[in-house]
Amino acid sequence: MKALTANTLREGEVVFWNKGAWKLRFGEAELFEDDAVAEAAALAAVNPTQIVEPYLIDVEAAEDGFAPVAFRERVRALGPQNHPQHGKQAEGGHDIEVIQHAHGVARSAGRHNLIKLKK
Amino acid sequence: MYRYDAIDRAFVQDRTAEFAGQVVRRLAGEITEDQFKPLRLMNGLYLQLHAYMLRVSVPYGTLSSVQLKKLAHIARTYDKGYGHFTTRQNIQFHWIKLADTPAILGELAMVEMHALQTSGNCIRNITSDPRAGATAEEIDDPRVWSELIRQWSAIHPEFSFLPRKFKIAVTAAPQDRTAAKLHDIGLLLRRARDGSLGFEVIAGGGMGRTPYVGPTIREFLPAHHLLSYLEAILRVYNRHGRRDNIYKARIKILVAQLGAEEFARQVEAEWEAMDRPSVDAPDTELARIRGFFNPPGFAVLPPKSEVFEGAKADPAFARFVRNNVHAHKQPGYAIVDISLKAPGETPGDATADQMDAIADLAERFSLDEIRVTHEQNLVLPHVRLDDVPAVFATLKAIGLSTPNINLVSDIIACPGLDYCALANARAIPVAQDIATRFADPERAELIGELKIKISGCINACGHHHVGHIGILGVDKKGEEFYQFTLGGSAAEDAEVGKILGPGLPANRVGDAVETLVDVYLRERKDGERFLDTYRRTGLTPFKEAVYAEAH
Repeated sequence: MKALTANTLREGEVVFWNKGAWKLRFGEAELFEDDAVAEAAALAAVNPTQIVEPYLIDVEAAEDGFAPVAFRERVRALGPQNHPQHGKQAEGGHDIEVIQHAHGVARSAGRHNLIKLKK
Repeated sequence: MYRYDAIDRAFVQDRTAEFAGQVVRRLAGEITEDQFKPLRLMNGLYLQLHAYMLRVSVPYGTLSSVQLKKLAHIARTYDKGYGHFTTRQNIQFHWIKLADTPAILGELAMVEMHALQTSGNCIRNITSDPRAGATAEEIDDPRVWSELIRQWSAIHPEFSFLPRKFKIAVTAAPQDRTAAKLHDIGLLLRRARDGSLGFEVIAGGGMGRTPYVGPTIREFLPAHHLLSYLEAILRVYNRHGRRDNIYKARIKILVAQLGAEEFARQVEAEWEAMDRPSVDAPDTELARIRGFFNPPGFAVLPPKSEVFEGAKADPAFARFVRNNVHAHKQPGYAIVDISLKAPGETPGDATADQMDAIADLAERFSLDEIRVTHEQNLVLPHVRLDDVPAVFATLKAIGLSTPNINLVSDIIACPGLDYCALANARAIPVAQDIATRFADPERAELIGELKIKISGCINACGHHHVGHIGILGVDKKGEEFYQFTLGGSAAEDAEVGKILGPGLPANRVGDAVETLVDVYLRERKDGERFLDTYRRTGLTPFKEAVYAEAH
């Protein structure tokens, strides 16, 4: 399963794609069962004045929800551990708790699957 | 302190205006991200995990009160109320918005600061001894030479697109507080028998993927030839550095492949052939720069202070003095280290309120000066002994009186995977856990000097290779693992640490450090630091203890 993520150009904020719009929370991300559909969405989502470095991340079922597989992506979806009041985690909520409790599925290799988008 | 002249001021303002225009064009879509990225990096702006990060240059780690207050203002207005001091004596802000960056650079320019050359394949911020101009140990003021190199290297057209980044450190004291031997070029000020000033020149040191302690390529370079000799080194590197392979592009690889002797021969040949007088700074310019670093109006005071001695009746103050207060060259003064390593806090972080309070302290008690150390602490370089108790009281009130300089909880840690786009593992929580375990100041003092350095990836921003205990975060089949090295040193006895054994999972790191400390306390002989005991015993007793427990 995949989700599409990026950072906003203006703020650098982490965002997730859902059916034509960029959302602020991982819990709002569209989850793609089919890799080809995900890659098509990634190409369609390119908007050079809105976001930078869009790429697909792996997502797996976690307890009572979904979480990014890569540890790095879980950090992006939450915020820094040393400042729990900063980043997405500050708002709390079920989707945040699911990611916080997800473990044993880490692949922290980062943006190895960064999509090469056509200019 | 050095003050900008009209040329410096106009140049920084021009660059700020230029970048503001580039940001406007990027936001409007007139330039692509691929076109814009190198431009923003030239202005110190990175994109990290959660936001943009702006790295601001602090030349040779020297700040005035006004400058630190400006950094506090930036932290409060444009970030989340804090800044992170780095191992290159700079500060970085982790929650910056692209659209705010021109305004931030404009604010920095108002106090003679900028973010130039804090990224990219150029000559980066020159680093130096945080006790410069305050310690009696130094044979000359290294800031004079650091400033000269800064001016020479600022947008140097020949060296703006080097094979890779390039870092220079300058020190003038026998005790090296700059990690000079781990820099692309390390400059150690020396005085010849005839009294003339010169440099021992070290080239090809570095950390990262392939660590090297740099070899000396010239024992004594007459000081007035500094710039031409640096130019000769940079030319040889620029010509032969491995632009084809980012992992082999640093000068350390070139020096190692050619051998120090051959590299030195090529530098000397280049130097002999060049028009040196056109590069070396004229004496008048050196004198002009030196004038900015004249002693800052010290009072004539008795060498002993009754107020200071009397305050030691408070054991907490006495402990602070033992660990954080150092001898000053001027009678009646002291150098006061401010630890940014309170147990449980993020190494190197300071809040905007703390920065303001430190700036006030510097204004009142330290002749308006603050220094940043490469170990991610701050220094008030010129405090009257009479005033140290008042400084301590204020530091205590703002949570910055931790008496742990050079002790086990004074840990260097890079931002790691909590912030950095390059990291493989977290560094900050590891440092927080270790520092909390050793939070008892009495125990920390009993253990003595012990430098733990943690990096979240092989790029080694956390200097793990040269930690007495080095800890490197790695990605092992998708999990955070930590590889230990022992016996590293960034000081004058520089050495790259040796790998202890297989990496340990995150939840074993704190226990492993406690085990290493226990072995040291068991094995140490009178007066030995951790590093001395390790050097005497080797890895074996440490390795046996850590891996016996791991199984």
